[in-house]
Amino acid sequence: MSTMFADTLLIVFISVCTALLAEGITWVLVYRTDKYKRLKAEVEKQSKKLEKKKETITESAGRQQKKKIERQEEKLKNNNRDLSMVRMKSMFAIGFCFTALMGMFNSIFDGRVVAKLPFTPLSYIQGLSHRNLLGDDTTDCSFIFLYILCTMSIRQNIQKILGLAPSRAATKQPSHPMVGESTAGTH
Amino acid sequence: EPSQLQLANGALKVSVWSKVLRSDAAWEDKDEFLDVIYWFRQIIAVVLGVIWGVLPLRGFLGIAGFCLINAGVLYVYFSNYLQIDEEEYGGTWELTKEGFMTSFALFMVIWIIFYTAVHYD
Repeated sequence: MSTMFADTLLIVFISVCTALLAEGITWVLVYRTDKYKRLKAEVEKQSKKLEKKKETITESAGRQQKKKIERQEEKLKNNNRDLSMVRMKSMFAIGFCFTALMGMFNSIFDGRVVAKLPFTPLSYIQGLSHRNLLGDDTTDCSFIFLYILCTMSIRQNIQKILGLAPSRAATKQPSHPMVGESTAGTH
Repeated sequence: EPSQLQLANGALKVSVWSKVLRSDAAWEDKDEFLDVIYWFRQIIAVVLGVIWGVLPLRGFLGIAGFCLINAGVLYVYFSNYLQIDEEEYGGTWELTKEGFMTSFALFMVIWIIFYTAVHYD
């Protein structure tokens, strides 16, 4: 096995490990707490109820009905915001860990071509895919590009497999504008 | 039933798979159906990634090919094969979007891995 392909597999492995690490940290700090479990159940129940209500409502529905839905939406928004706050703790911890980890990996893989791309990336993507690499071959793949692709695909699938992803109804409702989900997003 | 796997959000119960291939199956749980679409997409991503990497199929053609096949196969599946009402799920676009970005990223990873392994190892 060539060194380059060994690097390719290593990065996939690192990505799986960091995704599990992120979920592990989140589990310790967030998922296993009663507050989170309670809030999550509330949000899921409310958003499913709200969705059903919105489906059955008609244009000519009375003001009372619409007001009721507005109130429920407000309540759901507040719960979602509380849920995001609870997750913030783990996001800070993960952010911290990952900054350190990425610093370490970047220096380990500095200048190393970890894979060959079967396509030539667009010029603004090359800033990422050819980062810290020497030479002009734009099909050379840098650590960070492969790592980001791996994380995007692996993280969300791991969350879904472990049953940690929030339900679709819950993610459809708007939550706190400043708090986004982790890099790979959750569905 | 002890033989059935009960898993949480996103993961599928074993009994769901028996519905997947039956065109007249009734999908009571919307989320269940969307999860099937999601995982179907991931499987297509892996299969195409391997084939494209081994052939090899390079460049924009590979990417466009993936997008078309991924969207196309699923579209044929949910609109023709299954008798479901797309409007119930938010329309064709919502069904097309379901799991697409993750499957695209997965496809890229598999494509890159197999291309590197077969042609540069």
